[in-house]
Amino acid sequence: MKALKTLAAALAAATMLVQPIAASAGELKFWTWRAEDKAVYLDFFKDFNVKNPDVKITFEAFEPQNYPTVLSTAMAGDKGPDVMMVRAYGAFEALAKPGYLLELNESNVPGITKFPEASLKGETLRSDGKIYAVPFSTQTMLVIYNTELFAKAGVKPPETWDELVEVCKKLKAAGITPFANGTATAWQNETIVSALLSSQLGKQFEADIVSGKADFTDKRFVDALGRLNDLAKADYLAPSFSGIDYPTMQQLFSSGQAAMFAGGSFELAPFLKANPALKMDVFASPVLKKGDERLVGLYLDGGFAVNAKSANKADGIKLVNYFASKQFGDKFANTLGNLSPVPGVQFTDPMLGKVAELNKQNMSYLMLVHFRYQEPSGSVLLQSGVQKMLAGKATPAETGAEITKGIATYYAPFKK
Amino acid sequence: MADLEWPVGRRIWVATLIVPPLAFMTAFVVMPILSAFVYAFYHWEGLKRVDFVGLKNFTDVLLHEPWAPVTWRAFSHNVMVFVVLMLIQNGVGFLLAYALSRQLPGHRFHRVAVFLPVILSSVIVALVWKQFLHPVFGLFNKVLSLAGFGTFTTPWLGLSETALWALTLVNAWHWVGFPTLVFLAGIQRIPPDIIEAGRIDGVNEWQLVSKIIWPLVAPSATVTFILLFIGAFNWFELPYLMAGVEGSPYGSTDVLGLYFYRTAFGNQSSGAQDFGHGSALAVMMFLFVAVISAIWTVRLRRREIEIA
Amino acid sequence: MSATPQTRDTGRATSGGLGDLLLQILLVGNSFVMLFPILVMGLWGFKSTGEIFGKPFALPNFSNLTNFVTVLTQTNFFGYLLNSILITGGSILAILTLGTMAAYGLARYRFAGSVAIYLFFLAGLMVPLKLAIIPLFIQMRDLNLLDTRLGLVVIYTAMGLPSTVFIMTGFLRTLPKELEDAARIDGASDARIMWSVMLPLARPAMVIAAIHNAVPVWNDFFFPLIFVQTDSRKTLPQGLTAFMGEYTTNWGVLFAGLTLSALPITIVYILLSKQFIQGMTSGAVK
Repeated sequence: MKALKTLAAALAAATMLVQPIAASAGELKFWTWRAEDKAVYLDFFKDFNVKNPDVKITFEAFEPQNYPTVLSTAMAGDKGPDVMMVRAYGAFEALAKPGYLLELNESNVPGITKFPEASLKGETLRSDGKIYAVPFSTQTMLVIYNTELFAKAGVKPPETWDELVEVCKKLKAAGITPFANGTATAWQNETIVSALLSSQLGKQFEADIVSGKADFTDKRFVDALGRLNDLAKADYLAPSFSGIDYPTMQQLFSSGQAAMFAGGSFELAPFLKANPALKMDVFASPVLKKGDERLVGLYLDGGFAVNAKSANKADGIKLVNYFASKQFGDKFANTLGNLSPVPGVQFTDPMLGKVAELNKQNMSYLMLVHFRYQEPSGSVLLQSGVQKMLAGKATPAETGAEITKGIATYYAPFKK
Repeated sequence: MADLEWPVGRRIWVATLIVPPLAFMTAFVVMPILSAFVYAFYHWEGLKRVDFVGLKNFTDVLLHEPWAPVTWRAFSHNVMVFVVLMLIQNGVGFLLAYALSRQLPGHRFHRVAVFLPVILSSVIVALVWKQFLHPVFGLFNKVLSLAGFGTFTTPWLGLSETALWALTLVNAWHWVGFPTLVFLAGIQRIPPDIIEAGRIDGVNEWQLVSKIIWPLVAPSATVTFILLFIGAFNWFELPYLMAGVEGSPYGSTDVLGLYFYRTAFGNQSSGAQDFGHGSALAVMMFLFVAVISAIWTVRLRRREIEIA
Repeated sequence: MSATPQTRDTGRATSGGLGDLLLQILLVGNSFVMLFPILVMGLWGFKSTGEIFGKPFALPNFSNLTNFVTVLTQTNFFGYLLNSILITGGSILAILTLGTMAAYGLARYRFAGSVAIYLFFLAGLMVPLKLAIIPLFIQMRDLNLLDTRLGLVVIYTAMGLPSTVFIMTGFLRTLPKELEDAARIDGASDARIMWSVMLPLARPAMVIAAIHNAVPVWNDFFFPLIFVQTDSRKTLPQGLTAFMGEYTTNWGVLFAGLTLSALPITIVYILLSKQFIQGMTSGAVK
């Protein structure tokens, strides 16, 4: 088996050596959903061109919401890019499974196996165990807070859930909205759960879910949801939160109208861009009682993949090799403020360093990592479930039962 | 009927006129629709057709978890939207048409005004109203507060009780000009002597409208009703742009169009594309709309003939 | 599709007074509801986001064009506009050509199957082509028309044919046979009769059919959403959503973008309101 694999890899490498020289017209089409990073990417391409001066790369960006559709459509129509950003987990599998992506291994991307396992997992096809993309950043679910507003209300970042409630109370008394979070944008109902409740759920809960020992009617999950629900009921989220959408949430926090934002580490850079004077810091989800392990929610954002049908695979592989280099990782982390999983990356930004530190104790961003492979995805169920619960239309127990029921339609361990 | 004496030249000429458009329709309307029927009987992996599964996709979507509850919830929303639009969009439309038919001062201006939103793209309408309905900064709540109804301000698009109705009203705002002007044309086609006769007989204005004008206009409104019916059951743009592809909040604005779209093309929170179940949904929506509008057309046309 | 009589009076002579006053109030109120949001959209384009939030009803400083400049220089507005013009223009050309051909054949000649063919086209009126999006998608992929302007033109043409055949057949049937006969006696060929005698007379109906189809094509969002991915090929409504995503918290720029997008069709509508109304309601109004 192993010999076969090596042979196949060697063959693949050999064909690549022979074939693409002719096809290597030196042009690469690069696709991403990060329109806002265009300038930085053009700079990366310049770096890449230092060693590969003949390769001309064109940058094209698409709306994040439509990106998966756009990409899979284009790939199916043989109109895809040569190199592209792909999402991780289920959305990645939708591309890798039909064979649209080129397999990456030690022979074409040396060092890829040295990436952290948690990040490689997101770009590995579960059915064949092969890697199809170079991971580019992990994202962390945590709480971002405004240090000036905290100082104004005389509060410190909380450690336990009770302290968090106390902090909210004091902020509210000082006339400050505690959380910028609203529920109008569906996916923000998933991020808030991971950002605020990970420590209460715990690694053991994740293990039990994956092994099938527990489902989402589990007391740990239902109780955690209940505490989140209490926060909303006590009016600690944004005013009229059910109508507050994602852009408004961002605006409330970055303009200093709310003290905390429970969400992803990917918010840090936009917040600073919107308001360069903003003083912020981060903390991991509070624990139930002192001494419990403090966790953040972690997932791989995506990776860089090569189109298996690209006419210019050789240059495509060169480009993903650059994306796997420390040179890229350092720059990627420190100019875009992303947590690059490239081994050995140094974070010059103290905030990033801090998030990287928090990342050492993590559990998965649960639904994305484990339940976004089939319909109805755990994410969709959790999002609408929490949205409904926070609107006061369902109890935490009902929410847990509804999620379990949805996943049970395809996940054997939940079937009773 | 057919002219058997046509010279060959004319036969070729008529064929030249008819065949290209016919071929075009066949290739890009008939074929895709027939294909949709075929696709619905297969299991799909992404964009690849895999196994023939018979009626499974249909029974899944109509009867089985997790599809069926979503299908029926979406369907019930379509029904509600249709009924409400029938009442307000067409009802207000009729009222406005009657008012316009009176040719009061400024009626030309009002006629242009009521039709203005109709020519705007749903994208513009949806995005403008989405901002206007914003709970904090939106125009709507600000106007309410200004008018002294501050206690009624609410996150219209965020509450499950109001979101669907907010969307429905925006739709009515967008389209009310259409039935208005169709009805107006209908009223204007009524021979004036019929109305005169009514007035001479001393019927009051209400009776005139309900007993004479409405029955005479109703048949000519056939197409308006059917277009509204088709529109209501294919509703997509407005909910997609204002409530998102999941029909936020928690599915309270979910309609068949959205469900079809996310089943077939996936969304951000689940990358899966499922053309099999998607096609089954499309085929059933298609049959539902086609059968009902065909029956309706035939029945109303018949009534029309009886009245005429 | 007869011209809606403007002058015919539906008995305004008799009643009046209170009833008319109420109806007038209704009309004025309705026009306010219709126009106010559009007016505000335009006004907010001249304001900064802060002004919109703080003083939503104050008149803006009309010399402040920053938002409009941002839209025109920072986004691909002119590209989107050009694509919309190309796609709408191409579709209308194809729709009128194919639609008039079929309608002329059906209206001016009687042959076995002509009724069936007419009904075949009419059935297309009831078919929401949106629901055939999956097969269309695969078809376009196989024809290599995904992510092209031509692909959209093809789909819009298919969508517009039924109504055009309906409108044009209805009109062409009303043209007197004597015209045709006279030309034939003069020795004109079938093609000559169509081109030089009949079609010039059918121009008003073609305008109606053109508007009837141009407005939905110009405004369409659904097909570009699925078929076009490359930014440089996007239409105005589609480009608008992309750029809304980017400026989502900058309400000033956002409303400037919406205003600019609404402007072209609004101007044409105000200039040609009669034809627009007639065109868009044709089919529903006989």
